[in-house]
Amino acid sequence: MSVLTVPLRKLIRRNPAPASVRAVETRSASVLSAVEILPNDPLYSLCLSASGVIDLETLRLESDAVRQLRTAGIRLLIPLVNQGELVGMIQLGARMSDQEYTSDDLRLLGNLAPQAAAALRVAHLAYQQQVEARRRERLDQELRVAGIIQQTLLPKAVPSIDGWQFAAYWQPARTVGGDFYDFVPLQDGRLMIVIGDVTDKGVPAALVMASTRTILRAAAERLISPGEILRRANDVLHPDMPPKMFVTCLCAVLDPHTGRMQYANAGHNASLQRTCDGVIELRARGMPLGLMPGMTYEEKETILAPEDTVFMYSDGLVEAHDSERDMFGMKRLETLIGEHRGGDALIAYLRDALFNFTGAEWEQEDDVTFVVVQRHMQPSADPESGDGDSTVLDEFESPSEPGGERAVMERVARAVSAVDFPPARIERLKTAVAETVMNAMEHGNHYRADLPIKVRVQADARRLSVFVTDQGGDVPISQAPTPDLEAKLAGTQSARGWGLFLIKAMVDDLHVSATPTDHTVQLVFHLAGAHDAK
Amino acid sequence: MTPGKLSLAVRSVAQHISIIDIHGDVTGAADSALTDAYTSASTSSTIILNFTALEYMNSSGIGLLVTLLIRAQRQGQRLLAFGLTEHYRDIFELTRLNEAITLFNIESDVLESLNISRI
Repeated sequence: MSVLTVPLRKLIRRNPAPASVRAVETRSASVLSAVEILPNDPLYSLCLSASGVIDLETLRLESDAVRQLRTAGIRLLIPLVNQGELVGMIQLGARMSDQEYTSDDLRLLGNLAPQAAAALRVAHLAYQQQVEARRRERLDQELRVAGIIQQTLLPKAVPSIDGWQFAAYWQPARTVGGDFYDFVPLQDGRLMIVIGDVTDKGVPAALVMASTRTILRAAAERLISPGEILRRANDVLHPDMPPKMFVTCLCAVLDPHTGRMQYANAGHNASLQRTCDGVIELRARGMPLGLMPGMTYEEKETILAPEDTVFMYSDGLVEAHDSERDMFGMKRLETLIGEHRGGDALIAYLRDALFNFTGAEWEQEDDVTFVVVQRHMQPSADPESGDGDSTVLDEFESPSEPGGERAVMERVARAVSAVDFPPARIERLKTAVAETVMNAMEHGNHYRADLPIKVRVQADARRLSVFVTDQGGDVPISQAPTPDLEAKLAGTQSARGWGLFLIKAMVDDLHVSATPTDHTVQLVFHLAGAHDAK
Repeated sequence: MTPGKLSLAVRSVAQHISIIDIHGDVTGAADSALTDAYTSASTSSTIILNFTALEYMNSSGIGLLVTLLIRAQRQGQRLLAFGLTEHYRDIFELTRLNEAITLFNIESDVLESLNISRI
């Protein structure tokens, strides 16, 4: 008996039209030539409707395929039909013994057909899945590469400018995203800071983001006014912007010498400025980029005083939802920014607040981006700090061990005797130093003997500073509730938790800064004659 | 005295009135010593803390005093203190501990207020 089978590749065509069915040769010497049955041939329809074996000798059908099959010596056809689809066919020539097919042969072939059809279908589906998996893998790989390329379009590092601290956070909802930020040094020494958000997410948004960033940078080469930069970028972007897409963008130009920041806004979330008097919104009117040609952008300005922070963000932060579908919201953000002292530690603080709000199971809905700009209270940049020439009175390390604060406290007190520090305030300084050192050793370095804390005592004409650095990194100081003795006595508050309260009460000013590895607390005491001592 | 060391002595000055003399540092390490001293004085209805020889007290030590105060209030005992330096008096005021623990300058002032003469 000669057996012809249908090639599988015919069965996996993506074309929804019925596949033509063609036999292929096997390596056996008794295999006959392959005959293809096209979907428009009447035999194709007959195969779909026939049950069992079709005898070509007795078949009365006007069909090219039937003629070709007969010419090829085919005697019997056994269509392999599964779920209404012709998935294959067995074509048999004459028996090699030259005898006729018996009724047993026909019954056997008839019984074999549905099983063979089902097996072919399974093989077909498995093959399709393999192909689909390979296609997805290739797409995933392409997306990963796109994500890497997109990251190269973001600044590799934040600017390093004396007296200023910059920090940024970018987390796309998918492998690539439409949010972006940029820092561009301008020719006159100022710095352009940009944050933007392209409508939509994924690859289309990423492509528009890339071109917007390039256009903004090109505009900044010739223009130094944020409103003009946005106007120019809008005019260039608009003709080529895909339908239903646009870009919200905030552009600020900062003069690091004066703290003056000009800004214009193309429909982006207004940035927030944290000042000593509270948090204010920096609003300016303007349409998103790419929506309409010929737009102009209102330009405003603010001054960043020492210790002020400007926070820029995308809507992925304020529009994040928790499991109850409540939104993170502006009010919460303003409160958090008002509570924090700013700097790059603010990034971790807000990120933690966001994750605490959304919960561990959060599926990020939108890209999330923050940019933080903070003016430092550094001696060189601080008009309050007198002539800016400070003297280091002592600088040392101390092992982190329980009770270790006592020796540090005494050593700092000895160092301070070199300046005109009122003896009545020494005890306050000692308590502040001891509490700060204790926090650093316990919470920053976890009393690890191999992690010493660093202490620097310095003074200028107007103030004395004690810097205590631990290696706890960029972790915000835990905000213990303000101690309340009545609550403690009633058992609703822990008996402990007095440390930060005492420190704040002992010093004239307190600053916290952090790098990814270090955490520094600066205790400030105004010196006699410069300030009314507490 | 070595920094971090603490010695406590409990003496009775009248019926139901005891004084805990504190020498050294009141820190987190003072927990068990302070608890032991309080237990020895717990039969008294008035317990007086003598801080004249206090060398150093930190926030953990203040936390222990709050714990002591909670126990005393539960037992219906009165807690008084004397001998605090000006700095630690300030801290008692900041923390409002002075509202729960009546402060005196010296021992005789406390005893006088309790209408007893020194033994």
